[in-house]
Order: sequence, then structure tokens, then C-alpha cells
Amino acid sequence: MLVIDCPYCGPRDQSEFSNGGEAHVKRPDGSQDISDREWGEYVFIRSNPKGLFYERWVHSHGCRKWFNCVRDTSTDEILEIYKLDDPQPPLKKFENKIKTPSGEPDVGSGNFTVKK
Amino acid sequence: MTELKNQNSPFIHFHQKISFKFDGIKYYGYKGDTIASALFRNGIKLIGRSFKYHRPRGIYTCGIEEPNALVQIISEYSEPNVRATVKKIYEGMEVESQNRWPSLDFDIGSINNVFSPLFSAGFYYKTFMGPHKSFWKKIYEPVIRKAAGLGKPPKEFKAISSHLHHNVDIVIVGGGLNGLLAAVSLINTNYDVLLIESDNQLGGILNNSSKINEINGKRSQEWIKETIENIENSKNIKILKNTLVTTYNYINHLIAVEDKYVGAKPAEDKVNSTLHKIRTEHVILSNGHIERFLSFQNNDLPGIMLGASFEKYVCRYGVIPSKEPVIFSNNSNSNSLIQTLLELNIKPKAYIDSRSGEQIEGQLFDLIRKNDIPLYTNAQVKAAYGNKKLEKIIVEDSSGGTSEIATDFLCVSGGINPDVHLFTQSKGLLDWDEKDLTYKPSTPFQNTITLGSASGQFNLEEVENEINKKLKIFSPNKIKIKIKPSTANEYQIQKLWEVAAHKSSMWSKSFIDLQNDVTTKDIRQAISEGFDRIEHLKRFTTNSMGTDQGKISSINALGIVSDLLDKKVNEVGTTIYRPPYAPLSFAAIAGRNSYEFYDPERKSPIHQWHIKNGAVFEDVGQWKRPWYFPNSKSESMHDAVQRESKNVRENAGVLDGSTLGKIEIKGKDALNFMNLIYTNSFTKMKPGSARYALMLGEDGMVKDDGIICKISDEHFIATTTTGGAANVLACMEEYAQTEWPNLKVYMNSITEQFATFNISGPKTREIMSKVFSEIDFSNEAFPFMTFQFHEFEKTQIRIMRASFTGEMGYEIYVPASSALKIWERIHEYGKEFGLIPYGTETMHLLRAEKGYIIVGQDTDGSITPIDLGLNWMIGKNKTDFLGKRSLTRSDTVRSDRKQLVGIMPTNKEDQIQEGQHILLQETIETPVPMLGHITSSYHSPTMGHTFGLAVIKDGHSLIGTKAFASTSDQKTIPIDIVKPIFYDEKNERLVS
Ligand SMILES: [Zn+2]
Repeated sequence: MLVIDCPYCGPRDQSEFSNGGEAHVKRPDGSQDISDREWGEYVFIRSNPKGLFYERWVHSHGCRKWFNCVRDTSTDEILEIYKLDDPQPPLKKFENKIKTPSGEPDVGSGNFTVKK
Repeated sequence: MTELKNQNSPFIHFHQKISFKFDGIKYYGYKGDTIASALFRNGIKLIGRSFKYHRPRGIYTCGIEEPNALVQIISEYSEPNVRATVKKIYEGMEVESQNRWPSLDFDIGSINNVFSPLFSAGFYYKTFMGPHKSFWKKIYEPVIRKAAGLGKPPKEFKAISSHLHHNVDIVIVGGGLNGLLAAVSLINTNYDVLLIESDNQLGGILNNSSKINEINGKRSQEWIKETIENIENSKNIKILKNTLVTTYNYINHLIAVEDKYVGAKPAEDKVNSTLHKIRTEHVILSNGHIERFLSFQNNDLPGIMLGASFEKYVCRYGVIPSKEPVIFSNNSNSNSLIQTLLELNIKPKAYIDSRSGEQIEGQLFDLIRKNDIPLYTNAQVKAAYGNKKLEKIIVEDSSGGTSEIATDFLCVSGGINPDVHLFTQSKGLLDWDEKDLTYKPSTPFQNTITLGSASGQFNLEEVENEINKKLKIFSPNKIKIKIKPSTANEYQIQKLWEVAAHKSSMWSKSFIDLQNDVTTKDIRQAISEGFDRIEHLKRFTTNSMGTDQGKISSINALGIVSDLLDKKVNEVGTTIYRPPYAPLSFAAIAGRNSYEFYDPERKSPIHQWHIKNGAVFEDVGQWKRPWYFPNSKSESMHDAVQRESKNVRENAGVLDGSTLGKIEIKGKDALNFMNLIYTNSFTKMKPGSARYALMLGEDGMVKDDGIICKISDEHFIATTTTGGAANVLACMEEYAQTEWPNLKVYMNSITEQFATFNISGPKTREIMSKVFSEIDFSNEAFPFMTFQFHEFEKTQIRIMRASFTGEMGYEIYVPASSALKIWERIHEYGKEFGLIPYGTETMHLLRAEKGYIIVGQDTDGSITPIDLGLNWMIGKNKTDFLGKRSLTRSDTVRSDRKQLVGIMPTNKEDQIQEGQHILLQETIETPVPMLGHITSSYHSPTMGHTFGLAVIKDGHSLIGTKAFASTSDQKTIPIDIVKPIFYDEKNERLVS
């Protein structure tokens, strides 16, 4: 279970939070004239990287506030938590930190010793 | 038989006899005994039958790693698969052996051993394949089901567990020599420390063997006693005994189970076990090592046991399983066993070592010679034989000559492994040590420190150095320790995984996994069939997939595979060790979230009234709602619902709608916000009016519905469906925070603050005028879809003219505290007009007659408002609302989408059934085209027949045509597709 440092309440167990999927996906304004494809991508398509990921969380069993986070999906390490109106931290800030649990490659998974 | 005791064991209370039953026969043991040690006292070796072949099995180890000796504890709700080597006996305990029929001694299933080709590697997969489906069902499946398996599921399960959370700085796992020393080094430091030991005694190897005689000039037991006192007096260290760490999760999160009743019968209605959930900064793993076995023919016979386990029975449990055991080893770990036995004047019958005379430790060599123990060097045990117990072994020496030794006991040691399970659970990396022939922890992934044999450091002289070096980061108290080992310090081992086959009968087998009955032959077969990756091989053979996870054998399997593939073990890799370390019960995991606390029950403020008036309840989410109110014990649900429905249509009825979700929305931008959340436009709505509204997902599909009351542009009250309340509030909050943070708007749930009573029927106005005599309920003063606040006996109530039945009706919103008073008043005044309470089933019937949908019943997340024919609810002039753009996507504007229609049976006596399919032809020919299904169906007392709502492809244009509906007995009935409204199409009654 992760420990998530709510920017309003402090560190709490993951069970108090709900995940809200990818962050920084801008909802197209209703006044915009956009194609079916563009709208469909907003509604249905999200990225799913192995590695650094911007995602949203809400402290649903706490202050009920939404916030953003940068998590390494391969190690589950939370690298940064920031409020919704804070600027998006650039990826290069974390790039040296990627280190998968068993030293496995960035893509794929499995037993390192066997793969080697 | 005469019992062989080691009276020196300080852990067994020899003056306290305890009686217990094994397979119905009464035996005696002593306080402190495990089931296994007590059975040895009584000379019992046969304790169970194996998983697949039903071979006789005994006790192989003396701890949690046990693969064989699993028993069922009848006296504890028949708890199955309990390790006899861990569980302590108590007075009156009843134990049964497992997986045998009709008896342990005579077991019919053992015929499987003869049919063993059927059960060879991959048999699960191969038998599934054919030759024909029925072959599996009729022949294999019954055979396997009867043959395979461990214990029987418990019957009346009542165990209670509680959960305890810890937040500490350092956890020490394992209270043996290294764990105690680590704790000593942290005494009175600023760290919060938890020392966790799975046994009820601290000391580990000091208790279990004679490896160490003296520490700092004191006898080991004396040193332990003093050390524990010092630790207990320290202000910062807590000791948890009888607690097994099963799981090492990410972010140093550990799960450990504490047995609260060691050596005692668990009390009913008391907490039997505690699940500790521990979050820590650092973990020190000092959980020791596990001895592994060796494979040879019939290495599973009762009477064969690991050498270190034999020594543990002698030292820790004061029982000597045999007075003349043979010892077979390839390493120096067995040296202390010989020492222990000789000290008790027990002379091993023979010592067999795969190493040469020169390789064997000089001290051991001298000891053996001095005591005249028959010594076989460069020798191996080729096979063991006996009828349900060991009787003789065949020994082969380096020249190839064999000799036979008659013996009832064989102690085997194939070397030792650091107990790396927790370390690998924590995602630490292992490295193969070619000298010690085992995987050892190398790079940790978290803040994990390994100490002693858990780190692969087997040399007792290095203990002091290692602790002082590895714990330096804590600036601990420096450890000074002088250890006097009884045997050679340096760990020596010669490579030996399996003794070459010496097959003499069909019955003979050389096992690599005792619990899952996997043989070394299975491993060869798997590799020859191409399963040469270790994870594939594991699943194909089921090697190390038992509840013991191959603790004494999985490394041997890697060794055998590496030899067969001619690869280094490091290249073969290792399978992943998964939590839990040892099985833990569901009761422990569930904790207090069980029985009545499993899920909260939510009740309306007038729930007691419903009980008193005989309501039958239905669960709606967590809510208990009156389903119907039978007027007598004999009235069926159908009769009650028909009566209630008829009464509402003819007189009046009142429904407790308190479970309806209610959300209050306030703020300068509330109007703007509501216009964005719902499809409807609230801009032109007058304050004091109400509107039926729809909420969509961004995909354009109907997510919830409800009535919105506009108090002002800055104040709204929304109702939601009973099940959708939490989601609707969460959705509003999400959009308010993430998409439109510029809007000044706030929202809160008021569901439980207000009770809601829905009163409807032609006599409603008369009743309401009596109940609230000062209010004018005329159509002019109180039109349809408006609401008013009134002061009634010092409480503010809100009355809304609305209806979900199609009759004229009102919804009364009352503070929960006054709910019962007003509910009873309604009944009191309503009596003369024939008012009755009605339940949710009648509500459903009446709303369906009117074609009102239930979100989640008539919709399923793939239905748009247009599919429902509710285009009028979409605010055409609004630039934006949730899901707006989706309503014009190519997929949502298709004409052949499933659309809501009404259906009626062409022959009025036919029954339309909910959930059945719509067909365009009378005969059912597979594949049946998926046109749609019936979402709601009821018998209408007003129409006198059944009717339904359905979603059908292109349904709107099919209205007026005929079709067919399937039935549960696989027939079809003709139906008419009609508009989804069956009652008062012009809404005359509604607004009357
Ligand atoms: Zn919070």
C-alpha cells in the first residue's frame, strides 16, 4: 500500500484515496468546434506508460480535495505531489531516478536473471 | 514404547501432562509440545497422505517450512492445513489426519501411486485437452477431485481477529541471536523499534541446537534471559512474540499475524489473532535460514527428516524421535546434530557424507572415530524402503559398492539457504553464491538490512563485525560479543542435489516437492517437453506451488535444472517468492469487517415504524427499504403489490423515499455550475420551481437523474437516485475542483438530514389539506413541479408537488428528527381516505406504467437521453454540459442504437419476463441476433395483464410493429412494440 502525502492533510495510507487517472488532460471547452476524433480522444484515450506518470488523486476519505502527483509506475515511487494550480513539473526533473525494482528493463517485465 | 526424553530442554514442562486426540485416539504430551513433538513422544510417524499419490507421509521438519505434516484441528471449527510442527497442543485438543479415506493406515487413494503416469508433470493441462470434453467430466475430474487436495473446509467458522496499526522507525524480523543483538544495539536510542518473533521463545538457533555453548562466558540460556530483560527495560523497544511476518510490501509496509492462543484453545467470542499492519522506516531481516533436503528414491517415507529439525526436536522440544538415527549430509550443518546426540549418549547408527574423508571437518572426523560411529565417506543414500515407515536404506560408496543399513530413522541435510522470502517480497535482488551453493540477498530495493544467516553470513565468528558494520547508520550501541561455538565455524558444502536414480519398483519415486508430489522425473520430463524456463517449469510441474512454497526444496530444483540445462544456477534464475510467507486465515485478514460489521446498514429515520407494520425489506445499496407491506402473513408478494398499486391509483399511498440522495448546492455561480452538470437549462426556471433533470457522463450516457429545486440562482437542492448519491456528489466535487475552479460553488450531502415522504393518489389533496391545514394545496396556489417551505410545529419542512407514480402527488422533506411525527400524522389523517403505506416494488410498477425510467435498470451505461426519447430534457441553447459533445458523435447519432420502447403481450395471458431477449421471428435459431432485452416488466392491476419496458435496436421506428420475446423455458411469445407509456398519456391525473 502506498503512502500518499496529501498536500492538505499530510501522509496517509492509500486506502483513504481514490485514483483519478492521468493528470493534465484538458477538457475541451464546449464552445470549441472540435472533431469527433479529438473529442473521442479526450473522453476515451489515456496514456499508460511504464515509468513516469502524471496522475490525479482525491483524498476521498479525508479532505475530499483533488491534487496531482508524479509516480513511477514501474517502482510505484511517488516522486512529487503538487496542488492542482501548481505548475506541472517537467519530466527531466526526475529522469535519473528511474530504477525498476529488479533492475528490469523499462519496457516489459519479468525475471531479470532469466532475461539476462 | 518407552519415550525418549531430553530432560534438559528448558521449554517443555515435563511435570504438566496434556491429553489430546489424534484420529480419535487419546495420547499424552507435555505443556510446550507441538502436535508433532507430542506425536513423536508416542512413537507416531505416519501422519498424513500425500496430495496426489496418497503416499504415507510423516513429519519432515520442525517448523513453518513443513511440507507434509498438515492436520485438521477438529476442536477449532475444523480448521484445515494446520502445520503440526508449529501448532502447540492443549488439553482436549482434537486433531485429525488429512487426505485419506477410509483411514490413514488403509487409504484407498494410494492406488493413485500405481496409476501415477496419469498424474505426471503437466497432467492438469494435458487431461483438460481431451480426447473429448466428456472424458474430463466423467472420468478424470471425479478421480482427481477425490484424489487431490489437502484438508476439508471448516464447517462453522467463527474465528475473530482484530487489526492493529503500527508506525515505527525500525522493525527487526526474527528474535534469534542476530535479532536479539540488533535490538541490544538499539536499546534506549531514539528509534521506535519493534522486534518480531514467530516462536513463543526468543533465541532461535540458541534454543534449537547445540551450535553455541557460551556467549560472553555465560551459558546461552542465561545470556538470552539477561538480554531479554535488558531489551524489555528499554523504553523504545517492543517485543511481539508468536507473530509471523507474512508479507513485506512496498514502502516498508509489513503484515504480521499474531496467534493469541498458543498452547490453549481459542476462546469463542474473543479475538483469536491480531493482524499487525506495520509501517516502518527500516527493516532488519534476521529471520535465519532453512535447511534443504536431498532427493533420492522414496525420500518421502515416514522416518525421514531434516537433520537440523531432528536436532531442534531434541533441544527445543525435549523429544528424541529415534535412538539410533542414520545421518546423511553433504555439508557441515549436521555436525552439531552428532554433537547433540552424543552428549545425550545416543550413538547415530551411521554417518554418511557425500564428501571425502579429507573434506569432512577434522573435529567431526575425530568425534565420529572416537565414538566408533560407522562412517561412510564419498557415499550417498541411493534409496529408502519400508512399509509406511522407513525400514532400511541403500548406501552407495565411491567405488560403486552398495550396502544396506536397517534403520527406522534417517536425518538428511542438503545444505542451508538464507530465508530470503521476505527479502525478495520487498523486491530485493538475490545473487547465487557458488561456494555456499545458495541464493543470498545482494541489493535491497528498500531500506532493508539483512543480518546473520538471513544475509547468507553463516560464520558465527563474524556476527559481531557484521552487526556493528551494517547497523552503523543508526549510531547504535556498539556490540561486544564472544561466541563459543561447539563445532567448526566455517560452513562447508559439496554440490549434491539428487542421488542418481536407483529404481527397483513401480512404487519407487524420488521427490523434489513433497507437498505437491513432484518427482525429479517430472522435472526431466518438463525440460524434455520444452519447459526449460524456470517460471514455466514451476507451473507445468507445480513444483514449489504448494502452501509451503517449496521452502526445503525449491533451491534443489534449481540445482537439478541447472545441471540438466548445463547452465549456471544464476542463469537459470529463481521463481518469484510471493506473499504470504505462510498461509494466513481469511478471518485474520477480514478482522472486524465481518458478520454484522461487514458492510454498514443504512436505515431510514422511520425504520422502526416499517418493522412494526410488517414491512418486508429489500437491500438497495447499503439501504434497507420497505419492499412491500403484506396485510397478513398469508398475503404473497404479488398479491400485496397488486393491492398496494390498485389502492394508490384509486385512493392514495405513501412511500418512504428518505433514501433518495439529496445534495445542496450553493454559491455565487451555482446556476452556472448546475447548467454545466445537468443536461437541462435552469436559467429561465423561476425560484420555487422544480425540474426533472439528467446527468450524463462525458461519453454522453445517462449516469443519474433526479429533481432539481431552484431556491434562487445561488441556491439549489438536487435529488439523486438512492444508489447514485455518493457518485453524483463526487462528480460535482471533481468538476468544481478540477475543471471549473473559477466557479464559486459549494456542495454538500444532506441525504441523512432529511426524510422524504412521497404521497400520491387521487385523494392526496384532501389528505394533505387535513395534515397541513394552513396550506392551500389548490392547483392554482400549488401547481405541479413547484415547492414551498412551511413552518410546521416549529420545524421547517419543504413540500414539493411532484410524482413518480403518475397520480397527483407531493414530496414532503422533513428534518430527520421530526420524521416519525409527521409520518404518523399523515397516516392518522389519511386513514379515512384509504391511505396505505407502499413499498419499492409498487413504486416500480407504477412508475413503469407511466414509462418513468430507473437509471441502472432501464439504462446500463450505454444509453443516451435520445435513446430514451428524452430529447426535451437537453438544453439546446447551452454551449456546454457534461457529455454534450458526445451526443453528436457519429456513434451516438446512429439510428440503429438500442432505444427505449414499451412492450405488451399480444395474447394478454402471456407473461412478459424481465431480462429476456427480443426477437423478430418466432423460432429461436442460434446465433440469435442481439436486438435488445426487456429491462422492466410487471403485472399491471389496472390493465389486467403484464407489460414491459425494453431497449431494442432501432426501437423508436419499430413502435407499432410486432415482435417476439423469449421466455425462461426457451419458448417465445408474440409482443406488440408500443410507446413506453401505458397510463394517462396526457398527464391529466398528474396535474389535476
Ligand atoms: Zn487530504
